[in-house]
Amino acid sequence: MMAVLQPGVLFGLCGAALVGIGLFAVITHPGLLRRIVGCNILGAGIFLVFGAVARRGAGPGFDADPVPQALVITGIVVAFSASALAVALLKRLAELTVDDRAAPDESRSGL
Amino acid sequence: MSSAGLLLAAALFFPLVLAICCLSARFRARVLAVVVIAPLPALAAAVLVPEGRFAFFPAPFRLTLVLDQPGAILLGGAALLWSAAGAYAASLMARDPAAPRFAIWWLLTLTGSLGLFIVGDVVNFYLLFTLASLAAYGLIVHEQSASAHRAGVIYVGLALLGEAFLLIALVMLSAMHPDANPQIRSVVAELPASPMRDGTLALFIIGFALKMGLVPLHVWLPLAHPAAPTPASAVLSGVVVKAGVIGLIRFLPFEAGAPLWGSVLIGVGLVTAYSGVIVGITQPRAKTVLAYSTMSQMGLLAVLLGVGLDTADPAVTNLTAYYAVHHMLVKGALFLGVGILATTGGRRLRLALLLTAVLALSLGGMPLTSGALAKLATKPLFGYGWLAGAMTLAGAGSTALMLHFLLILRRDTAGNTAGSPALWQLLPWLVVAAAAFLIPWSLYPAVSGETVSGLLHPEALWKVTWPMLLGAVAMLFVHRLPQRLGAIPEGDIIVLAQAAQPVARRFSDRIGGIDAHFRRWPVAGFVLIALAILLGGVLMLQA
Amino acid sequence: MTPLVHATTPGGFLLVLATILPVCAVLAILASGPRSAARIALATFAAGLAVAIAIATELISSGKALSYVVGAWQPPLGIALRADGLSGAMLVMTALVVVAVGLFAHIQHGLQTDAGGGRAQTTFWVMLLALWSALNAVFVGEDLFNLYVALELLTFAAVPLVCLDGRAETVTAALRYLLFALIGSLLYLLGAGLIYGQYGTLDLLALAQLARQDPALAVALALMIVGLLAKAALFPLHLWLPPAHAGAPAPASAVLSALVIKAPVFLILRLVLDVAPPQAAAIAGQMLAVLGAASILFCSVMALRQARLKLMIAYSTVAQIGYLFIVFPLAAGSADLPPWGTIAWTGGALQLVSHALAKAAMFLAAGVIAEAFGHDRIADLGGFGRVLPISAAAFGLAGLSLMGIPPSGGFVAKCLLLTAAVIQGNPWLAATILAGGVLAGAYVFRVIDKALAVPTVPIVARRAVPRRLECAALALAIAAVLIGFVPLRPFGFLQIGRDGLNLAWAP
Repeated sequence: MMAVLQPGVLFGLCGAALVGIGLFAVITHPGLLRRIVGCNILGAGIFLVFGAVARRGAGPGFDADPVPQALVITGIVVAFSASALAVALLKRLAELTVDDRAAPDESRSGL
Repeated sequence: MSSAGLLLAAALFFPLVLAICCLSARFRARVLAVVVIAPLPALAAAVLVPEGRFAFFPAPFRLTLVLDQPGAILLGGAALLWSAAGAYAASLMARDPAAPRFAIWWLLTLTGSLGLFIVGDVVNFYLLFTLASLAAYGLIVHEQSASAHRAGVIYVGLALLGEAFLLIALVMLSAMHPDANPQIRSVVAELPASPMRDGTLALFIIGFALKMGLVPLHVWLPLAHPAAPTPASAVLSGVVVKAGVIGLIRFLPFEAGAPLWGSVLIGVGLVTAYSGVIVGITQPRAKTVLAYSTMSQMGLLAVLLGVGLDTADPAVTNLTAYYAVHHMLVKGALFLGVGILATTGGRRLRLALLLTAVLALSLGGMPLTSGALAKLATKPLFGYGWLAGAMTLAGAGSTALMLHFLLILRRDTAGNTAGSPALWQLLPWLVVAAAAFLIPWSLYPAVSGETVSGLLHPEALWKVTWPMLLGAVAMLFVHRLPQRLGAIPEGDIIVLAQAAQPVARRFSDRIGGIDAHFRRWPVAGFVLIALAILLGGVLMLQA
Repeated sequence: MTPLVHATTPGGFLLVLATILPVCAVLAILASGPRSAARIALATFAAGLAVAIAIATELISSGKALSYVVGAWQPPLGIALRADGLSGAMLVMTALVVVAVGLFAHIQHGLQTDAGGGRAQTTFWVMLLALWSALNAVFVGEDLFNLYVALELLTFAAVPLVCLDGRAETVTAALRYLLFALIGSLLYLLGAGLIYGQYGTLDLLALAQLARQDPALAVALALMIVGLLAKAALFPLHLWLPPAHAGAPAPASAVLSALVIKAPVFLILRLVLDVAPPQAAAIAGQMLAVLGAASILFCSVMALRQARLKLMIAYSTVAQIGYLFIVFPLAAGSADLPPWGTIAWTGGALQLVSHALAKAAMFLAAGVIAEAFGHDRIADLGGFGRVLPISAAAFGLAGLSLMGIPPSGGFVAKCLLLTAAVIQGNPWLAATILAGGVLAGAYVFRVIDKALAVPTVPIVARRAVPRRLECAALALAIAAVLIGFVPLRPFGFLQIGRDGLNLAWAP
């Protein structure tokens, strides 16, 4: 039980859980906004995994390996840009289809 | 490079350069006038270049040209026919606005078909074979009628299939060879020792049989040849089908022999020869009858090659080329003749019909004609067994088919008003007809090794005469069956293939349905994860 | 054997230049406003092409890979850029396609008279340049995370190109593309994280020496490869490609189909051949080949079914990508022959390059056709060859390469792959290659047949198209044909800088 509560393992397990939830959301939800949110959860899970990796790879005298932290920061920026782009497209789509439908989703957009 | 090499190169590149010059609109407007000279370097090469000469072009072309006896015989005849048919086409199409387009396809097909007779390396053989095959499409569909279009589509479909068979055969042939683009002669010499020998030979035979129109891969031929304009029909039926013949001559191991595949060729050839006659005799259109006759004659050539492969007799290549050049010129003259007869009337009509009759019966082996020479030259190959009998019977069938052809011509031309064909259509026809008599005579001693005087011996005359009489008698009986005409549609078994169309459509719709299913978001998402789990699992089991 | 470390080679700065030159141009466009966008872009095309050619010349003259260690920080802390022969070929190919497409777009923009096009035009230039930079970064990247960023930039540049015209249909397609690509790249990122956790480095060269059979690597490779497959749109993960590529404007479709999907394929190639241990590479290769073969057969039939020209070309892209995946088992190599010494390696690389050129040419030709007639329904295009002879010729020549008919790059590629399949005794792959060729022949012929037809009612162009516009497509198609003149054997240039990369193959 104690082994599970160690920060590295806990972070890893949480990350795995978030990855699973994110993947489930992004694949099964017909709503496009929910898919975008799903992608974000998936991304968050992956960053937690990176956190676990950083903790495990800590050198003597350090709390964590700095490289994965740097990667996570960059990754967050990239994921943020992706979300921004996706939301912008979604907004555009919503404007284009505002007449006949409220929240655009795959099942109703004809694809 | 020697002058011989230059001449060989000119034979290949001159028509190609003419085709490229058509990029210029001014040249294109006058290109019809040059189609007659395009094959002349090839003709000169066939006559002037001594056998065994070759020309080699280094990288990036890596092209080898060689002239051997079968190649020279075929090249000469083919160049003559291309040139004459070109003159005919120039006269026929002088007012056709689409003529420049026709001329471009003509030049490309010409380049490919003449180049095939002299090319010596594997890759360029494939290139020229492809060029001759695909460019012929433009000739077939030129008249743009619905039937021409259907013929063209079926032709291209089967030609592409043939290309695929040929490509894999060539790859299997040269896969083990250290040189990436080997000489045909040297890889074929290694073929008997190859572990993939039988597969390679089977694929070669399928690929070239498609081009020659052997049963059951003949369906395109009786559709495509009659659909083209008359001069194009002449070269398609005369020369372009010989691409398959030269292919078999080049790629089958006649030195070592392959009895199994020899027997296959003999069997397929005989079936083709007979079915060509049987189906041809039910056809009401003159050009279609000629196309079926071509198919039947290609069957006979396949039998010849099969015998050579069976008995490991390399001499058969010369004899096949000899037989092929006879057929090439006679069939070319006959197709041109159909066009001439359509515009001739009155007293000249009788003369033209007479000449056509002699040409037609030459295919059946009429004494003193090229047909008789070809049959006598090849007769020793068949011995005295059942095969000799079968070939004699095929000769009788050819006679019957040609009598049928002549009867159709007489019917078709009965109502012609008095008139005479254009000089530049008549003259090429006469040249080809004359060549059909003269060239086989002049080559006979060299090819058969016998004297010409032996041909005039009564025994030799009788040998070729009695099958003709047999065919004539057969025709007397068949003629009484009026309902035979049109009993079998053009392209015969293609009808069966068309019955399979709904099945193909259902299959295609099924594919479309599966695609639509996979393109749904949740399905694609689950497939993505399933693939990751599958790959990860397999890799983990390994680790 | 001493461990390989990166060291900046002479000419290494060219790699940096290839990556940042287009970015600088983007910044310049943003700073100077849309008016000079086209001019800046055109100047960058010339410079970028020169850089790509300089890299190739440097590779040939030195015979060794070019490397650049950014800021002289050695991996794993720093990142390195490296271009071997294959990367060099990709860089030059990318530059050629981008320049041709850019010229096409420039001419096309000149034709548009309506005022609303200006914004879309600037967006196009910015995105094209950003895309070029990202592509170059993928081709020279050595660091798995850096490659992730490059791939994401590539997607971010590609997605707006899909929906440049702003119709609901294309925006939907773009969003679908973005989301699916995002899942793919997140899976890739997860794999990269696992690899870092296991080996403490993300440098490909270092990983080539460290990687061994272990569960973490197996999971990481599976995640990364499948994630990249989603971005490469290999069947059955191609859901996003047909609507995205068919809906985009012609120049955008050309770069998307010719270049953008090649980047993930290139990375899969590197992962399988450089990082994966030999047994894992063999298994992954088998699986990829099965998917590739399915892609060739299935999507060729789909291409044949399409009524619209651009959709047909898009499905043809999925089919042609399949050829790149059947390379894996064929280029498996042996103890004395590394994968990059095999003919299949050369065949795969040639297929990659010639497909890029041919497909770009085809999309541009289709763009001209759509521009001239206002639609791209194949059934209603009878006789278009008469109105647009150059485009018809470009389509036909590009078609030769797709069908694998000599002389063309596609022929040489397929011939080499066939030879490899025959030598290995792999009749199924050989049959697939041939069947794919025949099907490609059928769908290309469908269009050519229309081009040559003479309909009873002659087809008329809705608007005149200048010759210059058509020539860009023709130039690309001719380039695809000219590649057919490379020799039919392992090509030395593609082997530059490959020696000793993976210890498993080293003598």
